[in-house]
Amino acid sequence: MSRSPFLLLLLAVPGLALLILFFLLPLGAVAWQALAGDAIQRVFAQGDLLAALGNSLLLGVEAGLASVVLGVTVALHLARLPPGRRALLQVVIALPLTFSGLIVAYGFILLLGRAGFATLLLAELGADPAAIAAFLYDRPGLVLAYSYFLTPRVILTLLPVFANFDHRQTEAAESMGASRMRALIDILAPQVTPTVLASFALVTAVAFGAYGTALALVGTQINILPLRLYSLIADAGADFPLAAALSVLLLAVCSFLMAVAEIAAARSEADPHVRT
Amino acid sequence: MSVVVDSLAFRYPAAGAGLDGISLAVAPGEFCAVIGPSGCGKSTLLKLIAGFLSPAAGRIRIAGTDMTGVPPRLRNLGIVFQNYALFPNMTALENVAYPLKLRGVGRAERLRRAGQALERTRLSGLADRHPRQLSGGQQQRVALARALVFAPGALLLDEPLSALDAAHRAAMRDEIRAVQREHGIATLHVTHDQEEALSIADKVAVMRDGALLQLASPQELYDRPADRFVAGFVGHANLFDGMVSGPDLVETAIGPLACATEGRPVGTAVTLLARPEAVRTDPPDDAVNRFGGTLVRDRFLGSLRRYDLAVPGGTILGETLSRGDIRSVQIPPDCLRILPA
Repeated sequence: MSRSPFLLLLLAVPGLALLILFFLLPLGAVAWQALAGDAIQRVFAQGDLLAALGNSLLLGVEAGLASVVLGVTVALHLARLPPGRRALLQVVIALPLTFSGLIVAYGFILLLGRAGFATLLLAELGADPAAIAAFLYDRPGLVLAYSYFLTPRVILTLLPVFANFDHRQTEAAESMGASRMRALIDILAPQVTPTVLASFALVTAVAFGAYGTALALVGTQINILPLRLYSLIADAGADFPLAAALSVLLLAVCSFLMAVAEIAAARSEADPHVRT
Repeated sequence: MSVVVDSLAFRYPAAGAGLDGISLAVAPGEFCAVIGPSGCGKSTLLKLIAGFLSPAAGRIRIAGTDMTGVPPRLRNLGIVFQNYALFPNMTALENVAYPLKLRGVGRAERLRRAGQALERTRLSGLADRHPRQLSGGQQQRVALARALVFAPGALLLDEPLSALDAAHRAAMRDEIRAVQREHGIATLHVTHDQEEALSIADKVAVMRDGALLQLASPQELYDRPADRFVAGFVGHANLFDGMVSGPDLVETAIGPLACATEGRPVGTAVTLLARPEAVRTDPPDDAVNRFGGTLVRDRFLGSLRRYDLAVPGGTILGETLSRGDIRSVQIPPDCLRILPA
């Protein structure tokens, strides 16, 4: 039974209304505010804002790399476990995804802050508590905290690909004379690389835009884009046009990274020789 | 270029299943099929020979060299896996060239040799296709070319035909055998399909519960099975349990059967085997081992007709070319074979 196009349009109205009201309108307002005045020019005139962009990119790439390296290792291990134990561990691994960034930050302060549990233990061994705290309250600390909640994302996106990989392929390669490592590089790596790249782009985008954990851990002492944006909205000297311009910049970078992720994922699906 | 397995034992830690001292030898150029029901240990045997599992006891020699404990990559074996295990990230040509690449053969030379190998399996036109773009039979041929291109010491086939449909399976069977003859390579073929094993192999090993029951030529396996399990597993069979009741006479559930009891004393429990094609229809009234009954199942298979005749005390399975009605059959005494009970 076919329905009239008019009826179908009518059914789409509530969804469209929501989309316009809560997505397109606010986005348009921000873009308008950013582009209407001289806000964009002001961003590029202010050296410290450009530095914040650079710092954020660096932080995103560092946290992304750390999470991907850790995630690939864990996913490889999980893929080899029997399904029952794998499911159990997956639940435990997914848990950090449910924590808010503030809680994660607080947890790390309790662990590695000046009077943190691990800090005090390490101090017994002769480490300097101030040095450990300085590590936590700066970019390395942020990379650590971000990796904590980004690694599970990497694991959960990679696990199906690794688990579905037919290990008889590497066995076949070994029977032909390849070492274990050679088989992984020649056979496994080309098949999983697109997914790993997509996962890297995804978590880098998240790390680039994250601010809750950063705010709780380092306050506004570190010059990164999300925190600059925050202070432009929250502080006494609010500057909404400049905040809007930074938002557009943030949005552009994140969209670019997501596009990279999408293209990598689509490539792996369209490619006749890579199964995901 | 031979495979010799000597008292090979293996036990899976959890299941308790495994192998109990298997010994068999495949001579150069010989084709040996290993059959048995699932869980009999035939795949375990293959994995042990390939080196993917380590035996608890026993030795494995390939082409005269002791390979026990040697990693798979140094055993120089060509293996065709059940699902072919082709590399999806490479073309058919690159798949076949890969073992040569591992052996340090230069690019131009290895592509030339891989191309030749594909030509021999009639796949030259598909060299640039990826495995996903090939049919099951074509993938199978690529896998076979890849397993043979580096002149391995022996060829292992792990149920290579089970993923193909019946029509392709018979054709591939002949093709595998032809390629194997051409290379003159010792081949071990694991399968659950007894018909496949009988039709392709020089000799067949029948396994059950981790033990080797019989190793013999297909004809001998069929005509002189070692026990009732082998008799029932290989081909169709009438099996009658009974007891020797006199000179050349065995008492069974369907009545006394005349057959050569080979001097067994009265009272010995035995099993009698009669292949269905040996059962004769509509014998003369005074024939020995004659049974009258009613036809309960009748299967027309084209070239022959397989039927079940219900007789007092049991059923007789027979095969005939006749299309007429069947009311009585004879099991000729010289077609009855005595097996241990």
